[in-house]
Parts: sequence; structure tokens; C-alpha cells
Amino acid sequence: MNTLLQAVVDGIMMGAIYGLTALGLTLIFGVMKVVNFAHGSLLMVGMFAAYWFIKLTGIHPYLALVVVPPVLFFFGYFMQDIVIKPVFKAEREVREPLTVIIVTTGVWYVLDNLALMLFGAEYRTVRTAITGISFSLDSIIVSLPKLSGFVVSVGTAVGLWCFMRKTRIGRALQATSLDRETANLMGVNQYRIYNIAFGIGTAVAGVAGCVIIPFYYVYPSVGVVFDIRAFIIVVLGGLGSIRGAMLGGIVIGLVESVFSQFMTSTWTEAIIYAIFLTILFVKPSGLLGNKLDW
Amino acid sequence: MSRKQLDMTLLALAGLISFGLPLLIESPTYLQILILLFFYAYLTTSWNLVGGFAGVLPLGHAVFVGIGAYTSTILALQFNLSPWFGMLVGGMVAALVGVAIGKPTFRMRGAYFALCTIAFSEGVRVMIENIDSLGPIKFNGPRGLLIPLKGESFWNYQFMHKEPYYYIILTMLVLVLALTWFISRSKMGYYLAAGGDEPDAAQALGVDVAKYKLIALGLSSFLTALAGTFYAQLMLYFYPKGILGLDLSFEIAFIALIGGRGMIAGPLIGALVLRPLNEFTRIYLSNQLPGLHLVIFGLILILVMLFQPKGLTLPLTRLYDRLASKITTTGA
Repeated sequence: MNTLLQAVVDGIMMGAIYGLTALGLTLIFGVMKVVNFAHGSLLMVGMFAAYWFIKLTGIHPYLALVVVPPVLFFFGYFMQDIVIKPVFKAEREVREPLTVIIVTTGVWYVLDNLALMLFGAEYRTVRTAITGISFSLDSIIVSLPKLSGFVVSVGTAVGLWCFMRKTRIGRALQATSLDRETANLMGVNQYRIYNIAFGIGTAVAGVAGCVIIPFYYVYPSVGVVFDIRAFIIVVLGGLGSIRGAMLGGIVIGLVESVFSQFMTSTWTEAIIYAIFLTILFVKPSGLLGNKLDW
Repeated sequence: MSRKQLDMTLLALAGLISFGLPLLIESPTYLQILILLFFYAYLTTSWNLVGGFAGVLPLGHAVFVGIGAYTSTILALQFNLSPWFGMLVGGMVAALVGVAIGKPTFRMRGAYFALCTIAFSEGVRVMIENIDSLGPIKFNGPRGLLIPLKGESFWNYQFMHKEPYYYIILTMLVLVLALTWFISRSKMGYYLAAGGDEPDAAQALGVDVAKYKLIALGLSSFLTALAGTFYAQLMLYFYPKGILGLDLSFEIAFIALIGGRGMIAGPLIGALVLRPLNEFTRIYLSNQLPGLHLVIFGLILILVMLFQPKGLTLPLTRLYDRLASKITTTGA
């Protein structure tokens, strides 16, 4: 019973962090209607940024949270502006331009392999002030980096959700997401909104990088590990939905940690795919998705 | 010389060259590169039936390659059946699987369909990697299957030299190109194109879009699986991550998109550009700077999408048209 309870606690904490890795993906899809295949690479960039920042300055990982996401925001903002926007403009009448998907795939190849050229293939870890610390509650052991990851993840999701509803830019993002032509007519600059959406999505990947680095390792193709899982999470929760991404993440985290009590971790992976396909067939718009988007 | 004569002469010349190449090339390494080039052109042409004509983006076609390879190899290892027979069985299994996943997924929009095909093929890969043996049937999990050497024999689909493989894949490629040419000019081709561009309008005009997409996917899966058997027999070894992996699925889609999706010559042109680039940059660059060849690959992908979003076939056709009109007018 206790091991099961432990698995549930672990699953929820890790699940929220998975949700965080999927938030940027779902936001970018929601606004731009583009599945960003470079998302995992952006996460990798976020993890490397956090890694080097903490490694070189020896700073507390919580402080990296203040520095890394803004840097990544500009990285994403200008990447969308320079690389992706031109393709978008060429296909402006298509609702879900497939060429943009391919461009993001190209970005994925370039970023992952640039990292390989710069940093080499080895797995890197950095000992932060919170690495390896855990405390016990009753008989449950809670790992501090994962608990703070959970708190930051939920906080980011709530913050993003409020931002989308309460601020002018957030509303412009939503308007563009609902109907880009009409938003254009109302004076919203569609491409600037895309830059901002991409920037925020990348910044959230930076937050995820800071959260993951205290208990995980980073290497150039680390994004692929989270990428496929993030795809599954956003489809599960409903592409474009912020709450859906968190819910999907927690579902996946729970399945992973509870099922791994009974079987090997490679089989739990197979089960996650099976659950994913079942949900797609039964309710393609996902748990909390928008009917228009599938 | 009229334009038609010019076209025919060039086509005949291309046929002659591709038929005679093994006589000129002695190095098995280069012949292998050519064989793989045709192999990818074949796969992409099969992919093009759904990915190009039907206007969706399947990103999990490796699953059909894997079904073909596993079916024929398991039948040969367990029941001593000829891989030629197993190839047809594998094709039929793949067609059934294709229709089964196409039926629920074709309702979805572009992005969902692409993600669904990825998830399906990755799911199958993870399953196979977990299965060591199923009853008496060996899968060997992640280690894959090894085909024992039985000596040169057509029945066993094993040859000591590369040339027979070259001619087999060349024949397959020519046949599949002819088939797509035929389909693109048939009623089904028009229905598919209509359904891909304007599904709602086509539906309103009474075209059963879903049915034709399903037929296209079934056919595409069948043809793709045949190449799986070919690959298994060529290499005599395969493992899930290689033959069922995302890299293969993505490469097929890249070749199609760079060449020109939905165009008959697209896959061939895409393979002619990307395959040599891939092989040579890997051979010459990956030792000095691992990763550089993939950076180049990614950059080319981005640049082609930026400047020729419809692929390279269109500008090349235009160039050929200009040259051809010069030749035919000055010649006449």
C-alpha cells in the first residue's frame, strides 16, 4: 500500500513536470496551429542554458529561473521571426501549413547537432544546492528537486493561464488562436503575435530546463526523450489547452510510475502509447481540447 | 526534333544508363549506395500515394517497412517459406494494418494525423522491442533478426553479389513509378487530389473522400512492406530501432517534401538529391565533426522549404522546359 502511495506521489510530481515540458508545445499549437517539432530541441537548449549558467556561476537553481527563461524568450522570438515566419507568409491561406512542420523539423536537426558539435555527446550533470535532497513525510519520501519542480510547474501553468485571460497581449494571442483573419482586421499584428507565442513557448521550455537540470542529465538529443512524451501529453489533454497539458502530464506521470510497480519500464512505455491511441480513437479532441482543432 | 521525341530520347537514355550502371561500377560500396538510393526512392513513391496525392502527412511509414521485413523473415525462419511468398503476405498484413489505422485517423486534421501515425509506429516499435519470443516465434526484442546465409538462390532471395539486388529494386522502382503515373491519371487520382485540396467541396460533389484515402493508404502500406522484405534480404539483418524507427519514417517524408509532394518525379528527385548528400557528408564529415552532416541536412531542409515550399521538382521542370524549347526550336 505504501509503495503504491509513494508511486502516486512520485507520479503526480513528475507528471506536473511533464506537463510543464508540454506547455510550450500546446501554447504554440493553440496560437499558430503548428506542431512544433523543434520543441524538444528548445527544451534541450533550455537545459543546456540552465546547465551552463548554474555550472559557471555556481548559483542556486532557483535564481537560474530568473535568468534563463527571458534569454530563451528572445531566442524563440527571433527564431520564429527569422526562420519560420517567411514560410508562414508563403502559405498564409492554409490553416495548418505542413511546410512549417517540416521547417521546425529542420530546426530540430540543426539545434540538436549544433549542440553535439559544441558540447559533445556525453551526459552532463551539475550538482546544485538542491540536488539529491529529500525528506520524508510519514512513510513517503519526497525528493526536494521534484517537489520544487512540481510547484514551479503548477505555478507556471496558472501564471500562463491568467496571462492569457487578463492581459492585452494574452487576449490578442487568444484572438489570433480563434480566428487569425478577424484578429488581423481588429488590428492585431498576426506575425508579431506569433513571435510572442513562440517566445513564450520557448521561455517555458527554459523554465522546464531549470526545473529538470537539478535531478536529470543533459545531452544533445535529450529533447527526443521529452518530445514524443510531450506530443502524447498535448494530444491527450487536447492540443492548445493549457489545463489539458497539465492534466495530460499528470495522467502520463501517474501511469508511468504506478504501472512500473508491476512491470518493466519498457512495457509501461508501450502502455502509454496504447492509452494515447485509445483516447485518440475515442475522443480525438483530447480530454479538454477544442473541437475545432482536429 | 519535336518535344515528344526529346522526352522519349532522354527517358530511354536514363533507362539505358540505370540498366547499365552495374557494368560500370565495380565497387560494391558505390553499388550499395545506388541500391539504397533506389530503395528510398521506391519507399517515398509508395508514401507519395497517401502523403502526396491524398494530402495528409503520414510520419510513421517505417511501421510498414518493419511489418514487411518481420513477416517475410519470420515465415522464412519458422516455416522455411520463400521470402518472395512472405513478401506478399507481409504486404497484405501491412495493407490490413494500414486500413485499420486509417479508418479512425483520417477523420482528423493534419497535425493530429501526423502525430497519430508517429505514435502508432513508435508504439509498435516499443512492443516489438519488448517481445523476445511469442510462443515458438522468435522476435529477439531490440536485438532484431538475423537471416542465416543459405547460399546464392533465387528461391531464398539471397545473392552473393550486389547486382541482382540492384536489378530487383530498379524493377520495383520502375513498376511503382508506373503505377503512380497510372493512378494520378485515373479517376482515383483525381478524387484523391480533390479530397486533399478541398475535402469539403469534394465531399459535397459526391466524392467518397474517405474511401479513396483508405484505398490509397492500403495500397501504399502494401507497397511499402514489399520494400521491407527487400531490405531484410539485402542486409540479412535488421533491428527495431533501424527498420521501425522514427528516423526512417522522417527520412521518407523529407525526401518527398524536398523532391515535391504529390508529383510523380518528386520522390526520385528528392532521393537523388538527399541520399548522396546524406551518404557523402556522413562519410567525409562525421569523423571530423560529428553532427555537422545533420546540421547541413537540417539547413537544406529549411532552405528548400523557405525558397521552394513545393519542392525541387517544379523549378527543375521549368528549367527543363526552357532548355527543351531552346533545343527543339533551334533544331527544327
